[in-house]
Amino acid sequence: MKRRGTFLLVAALVLSMAGVLFAGGAKEQKEIVLNFPSFWVGQDSKAGPVAELITKFNADNAGKIKIVVEENPSPDPYRTKINASLAAGAVPDLFIFNPDPTSFQYYDGEILMDFTEELKGEWAKDFQEGYIQASTKKGRTKTVPYEIGITPIWYNSELFKKAGISEFPKTFDEFWVACDKLKAAGIVPTSQMTGGVNAWTSMLWYSHILASIGGPDVWNRPLTHPQYVEAAKILLRLYSDGNTTKDAVGGDAGVSGGHYLAGRTAIFINGPWYIGRAKKDAPAVHAATQLAFAPAVKGGTYGGLIGFQLSNLAAANTKDQAKREATLKFFRWMTKPENVKMISERSGAMFALKYQLGDNVDPLLKRFVEISNQAKFIVPHFQSQYPVHVTQELGQAIGAMVLGKATPEEFVQFLIRANK
Amino acid sequence: MGKAALHRVPWRGIILFLLPVCILYFLFFVYPLGFVFIIGCTQWNGVTAPQFIGLKNYIDLLQDPTFLLSVRNNFIWALSLGFGQIPLAALVAMILARKPRGWKFLRTMYFLPNVISQVAISMMWIAIYNAEYGALNKLLELMGYAQLARNWLGQIETALPAIILQQVLYIGYFMIIILAGAMAIPSSFYEAAEIDGASVVQQELYITLPLLRGILVTSMTLAMAYGLRHFEATFLMTAGGPANSTSVMGIQLFNNMSFLRYGRANAIGSALIVLGVLVIVVLRNTLGRSESISEVQQ
Repeated sequence: MKRRGTFLLVAALVLSMAGVLFAGGAKEQKEIVLNFPSFWVGQDSKAGPVAELITKFNADNAGKIKIVVEENPSPDPYRTKINASLAAGAVPDLFIFNPDPTSFQYYDGEILMDFTEELKGEWAKDFQEGYIQASTKKGRTKTVPYEIGITPIWYNSELFKKAGISEFPKTFDEFWVACDKLKAAGIVPTSQMTGGVNAWTSMLWYSHILASIGGPDVWNRPLTHPQYVEAAKILLRLYSDGNTTKDAVGGDAGVSGGHYLAGRTAIFINGPWYIGRAKKDAPAVHAATQLAFAPAVKGGTYGGLIGFQLSNLAAANTKDQAKREATLKFFRWMTKPENVKMISERSGAMFALKYQLGDNVDPLLKRFVEISNQAKFIVPHFQSQYPVHVTQELGQAIGAMVLGKATPEEFVQFLIRANK
Repeated sequence: MGKAALHRVPWRGIILFLLPVCILYFLFFVYPLGFVFIIGCTQWNGVTAPQFIGLKNYIDLLQDPTFLLSVRNNFIWALSLGFGQIPLAALVAMILARKPRGWKFLRTMYFLPNVISQVAISMMWIAIYNAEYGALNKLLELMGYAQLARNWLGQIETALPAIILQQVLYIGYFMIIILAGAMAIPSSFYEAAEIDGASVVQQELYITLPLLRGILVTSMTLAMAYGLRHFEATFLMTAGGPANSTSVMGIQLFNNMSFLRYGRANAIGSALIVLGVLVIVVLRNTLGRSESISEVQQ
């Protein structure tokens, strides 16, 4: 009797412990939490629609998958933080990947989730031509192409009208004449900047000028090619004779964009993601903004555009199949054409996916799509062709050239030295 | 109890008490320091395994004009803070130590910037120095010196002095330290000097300054050490530009980390440590120690 009682007691204990264990296991399987540090928050034009999509995803997958957003409102510090985390091996579950030559070095390790097989299947049909290929290195696709951008010239048609200019110049000869007319009307022609991590506005100008000189093959030429000096001479003139603001040297994106939005400058360059900001902070400038191709250099091509991948989606590599499935489910959700269309229509951002914009989209965004369709060719910008330290040196080298400490030839030598 | 027992060194106790500190010191100082020097001898992008390349990173640094310019700028920073900020802080502290009217309010006002974020302060100075709408240029125009208006942070000649000046002006932290020292000097010293006919300036020169020497040397050491590792204000205000003219070693280190050149970044870190130690040793040996108040009273 006593032995039977002991047996029952042990059996009850084992069963109860198994119950607890199974219950715990079930609870673990119940919800997969994926942390997502993101800069698509705060003032970012995609913040609202992205947050809505994540909330909807969490609601649809309640109890199974939960995406927790860690807010990092500024892209540059975000990238620094992500780089530090990746180097330390503390890869976030999900993150926004900066698709530049420096960041693509992370493909060499085993820290990123590999989407090669998935992006060869049905999912690939949702993407526009070329972007998966551009995100594939050594045969592996370890990030998912997402936001893209083209950066035509923005100009304020009201300020142009005030200066007596009817249309945006098609050659640089016409462009300098237009600049003189703008200055005569008390308007600073262009926004420029040497600051920030990449001298963004001026880097884009330099890329446009180079694209006009070199055409679709511009980046097949090494830094020793004379096109870089020729483009530098034009860039120098953009900084001279009052063609830009006095604070352009040392100025960052806030300075460059701020002058355009305040109506102080008439010409600016940026991508469609800036539409939301323009619409919100400077509705009159937003309404007056028209887009154009960059003027052509003498003997160069007119009608080329600068276009590039802006942000990819990436995730930490994991052996946990459930976590991998959850990540894939979330990325498929974020790349669904109707979801991407919603973000695009509301923020002005453009995506590497196939989607049709509705009729009620922002008129400036429509112009982006139109100019993209009219482009003779689209080539990436300077930054996407060289490691970050070369782009960073670009801003310093522009400063040296503009301040008379370097000739255009020496400016290019700075870049060559940085690229070694 | 025998004499030998009294003088026996309690080694077990000493080791027991020192061990936790030694372990922590090793884990959080010696080991990372060794790591910095070792990684400085490698080529490493943080993804693949580091490759040992000997002293190549250090040799490259010595041949890099931007790095050498950064070292020079760090020395300018150290000297400006040590010999600009500290004398200014000492002067204000000596004035406040005489407790003029409103001295407590002034003490708080001078210290206030130290509790404000460097980011906010830098943003304010960027606005003040701005070439288009900055307060400094507007003030110069109002005073009839419009020809002096310029892009203060965008010109090679003015960018570095402009950043250093805004930092030198924030004397509050060292002023408080020096003021505490000045107020600890017994008033009887000054009363005696006054009876002997010493003027206020003589009292400060021959009583206050000699007695504050220890505090001043410490403050100078701290200020110069800060100058050598300076990063924040320059990074926020110019990011090392224009044309790298304001670059400092901290920015070079940060940039190389951002570029995934961890070997080179650690080599810069090593150089920063070695230079810092050298400067502190030279400073302590040159300026030496001082007499304390109790030594003077004896």
